[in-house]
Amino acid sequence: MHSSTTNVPMVKIQVNGQEVEVKEGSTIIEAFYQNKIDIAHYCWHPGLSVAGVCRLCMVEIEGNPRLQIACNTTVTPGMKVSNVSEKVKDAVKWGLDFHLINHPLDCPICDQAGECGLQDQYMKYGRNDSKMGEAKVKKHKVVDLGPRVVLDSERCILCSRCVRFCDEVPKTSELGIFNRGDRAEVGTFDGKPLTNKYSTNVVDICPVGALTSRDFRFRQRVWFLKDKETICTGCSTGCNVKAYYNKEGVFRVKPVYNAAVNGHWMCDDGRDVYKFVNRENRLIDAKIVSGGKTEHMQPMELAKRLGATLKVRASVALVLTGSHSVEEYEAIVSYFKNDVGTTQIYHWINNPDMIDSFDGILIRGDKNPNTKGLIEVLAKNGISTQWKSLTDAIGTGAVKTVVVAGPENQALFPDMKVKISELSKAAKLVWMTAGKNSELESLAGDVALLPLKTYVEKPGTFVNHAGLRQKTQAVTSIVPGALSLAEAVQLFRGEDLLAKQTPEGDKPNEIGKGRVDNEFTLTRGVW
Amino acid sequence: MAEVKYLSEHYLKPEYRSLDGYKKHGGYEMLAKALKMEPQKIIDEVKASGLRGRGGAGFSTGMKWGFLPNNGEPRYLLCNADESEPGTFKDRVMMEKAPHQLIEGMLIAAFAVKSHKAYIYIRGEYMGPAAILEQAITEAKAAGLIGKNILGSGFDCDLDLYLGAGAYICGEETGLISSLEGYKGQPKLKPPFPAVQGYLKKPTIVNNVETLAAVVNIIRDGGQGYRKYGTEKSAGTKLFSISGNVNKPGTYEVPLGYKMIDLINIECGGLKPGRKLKAVVPGGSSAPVLTAEEAERATLDYECLAGMGSMLGSGAIIVIDDSNCMVDVLSTITHFYHHESCGQCTPCREGTGWIEKIIHSIIHGHAKPGDVDMLLKIADNMKGRTICALSDAAALPVLSFVTKFRDEFEYFIKEKKSKVRGGQIYAQLHH
Repeated sequence: MHSSTTNVPMVKIQVNGQEVEVKEGSTIIEAFYQNKIDIAHYCWHPGLSVAGVCRLCMVEIEGNPRLQIACNTTVTPGMKVSNVSEKVKDAVKWGLDFHLINHPLDCPICDQAGECGLQDQYMKYGRNDSKMGEAKVKKHKVVDLGPRVVLDSERCILCSRCVRFCDEVPKTSELGIFNRGDRAEVGTFDGKPLTNKYSTNVVDICPVGALTSRDFRFRQRVWFLKDKETICTGCSTGCNVKAYYNKEGVFRVKPVYNAAVNGHWMCDDGRDVYKFVNRENRLIDAKIVSGGKTEHMQPMELAKRLGATLKVRASVALVLTGSHSVEEYEAIVSYFKNDVGTTQIYHWINNPDMIDSFDGILIRGDKNPNTKGLIEVLAKNGISTQWKSLTDAIGTGAVKTVVVAGPENQALFPDMKVKISELSKAAKLVWMTAGKNSELESLAGDVALLPLKTYVEKPGTFVNHAGLRQKTQAVTSIVPGALSLAEAVQLFRGEDLLAKQTPEGDKPNEIGKGRVDNEFTLTRGVW
Repeated sequence: MAEVKYLSEHYLKPEYRSLDGYKKHGGYEMLAKALKMEPQKIIDEVKASGLRGRGGAGFSTGMKWGFLPNNGEPRYLLCNADESEPGTFKDRVMMEKAPHQLIEGMLIAAFAVKSHKAYIYIRGEYMGPAAILEQAITEAKAAGLIGKNILGSGFDCDLDLYLGAGAYICGEETGLISSLEGYKGQPKLKPPFPAVQGYLKKPTIVNNVETLAAVVNIIRDGGQGYRKYGTEKSAGTKLFSISGNVNKPGTYEVPLGYKMIDLINIECGGLKPGRKLKAVVPGGSSAPVLTAEEAERATLDYECLAGMGSMLGSGAIIVIDDSNCMVDVLSTITHFYHHESCGQCTPCREGTGWIEKIIHSIIHGHAKPGDVDMLLKIADNMKGRTICALSDAAALPVLSFVTKFRDEFEYFIKEKKSKVRGGQIYAQLHH
C-alpha cells in the first residue's frame, strides 16, 4: 500500500531528526508508520477513519507551540516533527495515565494479556506507578454484544475503533457509545446484536481486553502460542491470515494485511475454518475394508499398496475438489493421466448455485481456496469431464474404482452425504481426506481410507478468485502420519518419500519465539 | 458611562415580543435596508464594526463570515442558543424579550453569507424561550419575512428552531452541529472547520444569539457607528449576566471597557452589608477566577481580562463574597464538568472525573497532602490536549482556584473542615 505503487508526489519531512519521504496529503502518523518509527496511539487504525480521541499520538512540530495529534495533522514539505522531546514524552505519559486510572488492571485474568496495547505501550511510554488513590468507575462486565464477541466495559478505553469498524467496513453500525464522560460505554441497540459477518475483527482491533472472542477466550494464553502466516481456505478470496498454534493444535486465526486480497480484515466464517484441522476432527486411521475384513496400517504403507492395485487402466476414475494446492493437483493429475492411464478425472463442485456470489466485501460463494488452480491444471492436461458421466459410468460398471481426493474441510461441502452414497456404488472406493466422517468410516463395501494433511501442514500454491497465486508454508504438524496428495502420489509410484523433515510443530514449543507482536510497538512487530 | 440601552432599548416593553410591537419600534426596517445592500458590503460593515463573537471565544464575526469558501455549495447559518455556560442567562433574556430582533439579525446574516437555510439551536431546558421563538417564527413566516422572496428582494431564506436535549457540549459549535444532524452531541475533529465542512458537511457559520442581534444595530448605525460604544479592540456593548452575592443580580447591558467593580457596586447594588468581595468569575464558570484585588482593577473587555489570564467569555459574572469556601465553589464547578464531558477524548473524560473525586476526598476529609499539587498536575495535562475546549474549561477553574486560594485547600486537607463559615459547607450536605 505504500509509496511506490502510485504516482502521488512525495513530500520530505523530518521525523526525530531523520529525513523521511511520504506521499503528499499523508498524515504525520502515516509518516511514522510507513517508516516504522514508533508512535504511541490507540484510536488510530490504518484501515479506519481518524477519530482523534485517545490523544496519545502527540507530536511537537517545529514552530508550533502546542502539541498536535499526528493522526489529524497533514504533512507539509520540510516539516520537522518530534515525538521524543521531553514535552511529548511527558504528555504521552500523562495520556497513558488518563487511560489507566479507571482500567481494572486485571491482566492476570485478561485474555488480551501478552498482546495488549495498554501493556505494550505502558512498558514503552509509561512505567510509572498509579497516581490515583480514588475509587475506579464501575461498568458492565461480560456483556454479550453478539454471538461471537464479549465486552468488558471496565477494560474499554473508548477508542471507538470497534464502532468505526461497524460503521465503515460492514456498514451495519450495530455498535455505539452510550452515555457520556467516564460513564460512557460501548454497546448495541436494543434487539440489534452484533451479528455482521465480520464482527470478530473488532476483537482484533480492540487495543485492550475489552472485546474478546467467544471462540478463543480462556482457551490459551497468547504467550504459549506461536504464529505463522498462511491463507484462509474458507472461500476463493484467500484472505491472508496468521494461524496461532502450539503442539495441541491451532487455536485461532487472525487476518494479515494484504492490500491486494483482504486489506486488514477477514470474515467470521473464515475464523472457524481452523477448527477442522485439529486432531479431534481428523481422520487418523488408514484402513482397508475388503471382503468384510478390516485392516489398519500406517498411511504410508496403505499408499504403497494402493499404488500397486490402481493400475487397472480405464476402469479407474479420480474425483478432485477445489481444496488442494496447485502442486498437488499437478502431481495427482499427472499420475492418473500418465501412470494409471485414465482421463476420467472429475471436478466435484460443492455448491454450484452460489459459486459466483459475493457480498461486496470479502465473502465469496465459491467455498474452495483453489477452484481456479484445479481448473487450470485440468485444462493444461486437456481434461474436460461432466459429473453425470461419472455417475453413469459407475452405474454401468465402466468405472470400477473411484479414487476421491478431498474435500479437505467437509463443513464446506453440504453435499458430502449425497456424494458418499453416489460414489460408494462403485465396486472399489479409495477415499483420501483430512477430516473424519462417520459415514465414510462405516462404509461396508470395498473401501480404503487414507488420511491427508490439511493446508496448515504442507506448503503449496493457491489461486484465488482473481487469479492471484499465493504460496503458503507448512505451519505445524497435527496428524503426524497424514500425507499430502503429492506425497501420496510418490508412494503410489513406489518411490520413497524424501527424508521427512520434522515440521516445527513437532519440536518442543519455544515460548514467545518468533511471535510477531501487535501493531503498537513497531520494534517488536509489523502492522 | 454606565448602563446603556443599545441592544436592549425596548426590552422592557411587553409588546416588543410580538411582530406588530417589534415593527412599531422600527423592526425589520434594517432587514429591508440590508436586502438592498451588496452582501459583501454587509460583511465589510460587520468587519468594520469590530464585532466579536459574544458566545465566549470572542472571534471576529466579520472574519468568520469571510472564511466561507466561494464554491457555490449550499451553506448554512446556525444560531447558537444553547447558552449552557454556568452563570450565563443573557441570551435567554434576549430571546424572551425580543425574539424578532434575533430573527431579523439572522436573516441579515443569512443574506450576507448567502445562506438559504438557517436554524436556531436552542438548549432543551429553554422551553419557555423556545415557545416564544416558535411563535415569533410563525408570525414572521406568515408575514413573508421568512421563506421565499423576502420583502420582494428575490432572496429566499428558511428559518427553523431546533430544541436540543440539554447538554453543555452542544454549545460547542461542532457539538451543536453533530446534535443538529441527529447524532450524539459530540464535537468533531478540526480541521475541517465548520466554515469549510459543517452542518451536513457543507460550509456553515455558527453565531451566538447576541452576536446576531447586534448585526441589526450595525446595519442601522454602520460599522463605524457601532463603535460609539466600547474600546478599540472590544467594540460595542455587551449584555452581562451577574449572579452570586450581589444585591441586584440580573442581566445588564454596558459598553465594553466598563469597570467590573462599578457594575457590581453601582448597577448591581453592591454586596450584602458586612460582606467583603473575595473573588469574581468573570466570564462563565470556565473562566479563570479573579481575586478581589484583580476584580477591582478589571475592565469588562476582551484584552484586559485576557491580560489577567482570564477571559470575558460569555459575560457571566459570578460574584463570590467572603462567606463562601472556595473548595465548595470549585466542588460545584468540577461536578458540572465531570457530568458534562462528552467522553470522547481521554484526558477530559478521565481527568474531569479524577478531579471531582479528589475534591470530594478533600471535602470528606480523606484527602492526602499531595492532592493539591495533584489537582494542578491533572488540570495542567488536560489543558490543550483535546478536540474541543471543554477540557480546558474544566481545567482552568481548577488551576486558578487552587493557585489563587491554595491556603483554603491546604487548610481543608489538614483540618478536615473549611476555613470559612465555621467549617460547614454546602457540598458536604449534598454529596
